[in-house]
Amino acid sequence: MSRHPAPEELLLDYAAGALPEGLALAVGLHVALDPEARRTVDRLNALGGALIEREPEAGLDEDALERTLARLDKIAVEPPQAPFVPRPGFEWAPPALARYLGPNPRWRRVLGGFEEMRLAMHGDSHRVSLLRLMPGRGLPVHRHAGTEHTVVLQGGYTDSTGNFGVGDFTFGPDSEHEPIADAGEPCIALIVLEQPIVLTGPIGRWLNPLVRRDWI
Amino acid sequence: MLSADEAADLIEAIASRQDRGAFADLFRHFVPRVKAFVMRGGTDSETAQEVAQEALIIVWRKAASFDRTRASAATWIFTIARNKRIDLLRRSGRPIDTEDWLVVYAPEEEDADKSVLAGQTYTRVKELLGGLSADQLVVIQKAFFEDKTHTVIAEELKLPLGTVKSRIRLALGRLREALERDES
Repeated sequence: MSRHPAPEELLLDYAAGALPEGLALAVGLHVALDPEARRTVDRLNALGGALIEREPEAGLDEDALERTLARLDKIAVEPPQAPFVPRPGFEWAPPALARYLGPNPRWRRVLGGFEEMRLAMHGDSHRVSLLRLMPGRGLPVHRHAGTEHTVVLQGGYTDSTGNFGVGDFTFGPDSEHEPIADAGEPCIALIVLEQPIVLTGPIGRWLNPLVRRDWI
Repeated sequence: MLSADEAADLIEAIASRQDRGAFADLFRHFVPRVKAFVMRGGTDSETAQEVAQEALIIVWRKAASFDRTRASAATWIFTIARNKRIDLLRRSGRPIDTEDWLVVYAPEEEDADKSVLAGQTYTRVKELLGGLSADQLVVIQKAFFEDKTHTVIAEELKLPLGTVKSRIRLALGRLREALERDES
């Protein structure tokens, strides 16, 4: 079991398909990396299947069946899904994330030892990014105006609330925090932000107008 | 009625010999039910029919990727229909997620020993549903079929969000405890 699991209600919303895209991606990555979360979602999906079986038959349109059968002439039964092959340099990205990386994913340097890669969503207002922090480096101290969801994909980080490793899921409108990457590999995490963060350090706060305008 | 084993046999018949009769049987069983499921979310009958039919077309295309040890036919079709419906909502401009349904069932070596149980989970879950209280079942049904977050459910049922969450926890907890008892 993950030391920092996602709450079960969030897993239910995920299984029900009720989450906005960015949040569903974050939960999906947690599920991919945490066997316990995956078992819970497997069960919730089984619950969904069992509930579908409880639906009364609304009456079948036989013409619809005939039309669909006619279409099958042109639709092949596909071979089994090939195993997922990670992209070189992105071995830490599970399949659900790999689809978002695009043809030429690039890290953009934000501050010393801190890089970002924005991910494009379809009509989701969350700001969804991958962050990469070099070992021992920290993010500028900040607080969240809205909820921030984080999933660690590689390495780990530590802040005043604890230590977070691969697969760990955290969220919250928290008090201020200042995460620092653990030693070893660079820490890579997916961050889903409801609102722009507010930098609260002595230098950081001068950067807030840029953050609000989405420049950094 | 189709049993879970019969439904799985039908999907495997499509995979091994493109069996159109098997497809027709699955279509007759699942399209009306999936249609009813989609209509619970407020979708009109015509669109719901389209979602259900397209979900069955995916069953045809992906039949060879179905693994009865990992999920029952109904569970698999639930995930396909859910994602089809999400796609549909997304096309109409509503901000909603879609996910690759295969990802959920991508075999993972680390829990391969447990995956054998996943196929049996469905049967057990079906039994356990009968053991939930009426109001626990309503919350779960709303969460699944009406595609709403808990905040919205709380408003509709005129319950505080905390109450909805605790009922969901109770219902899920009961399912989990019973399943874990089976597995140990």
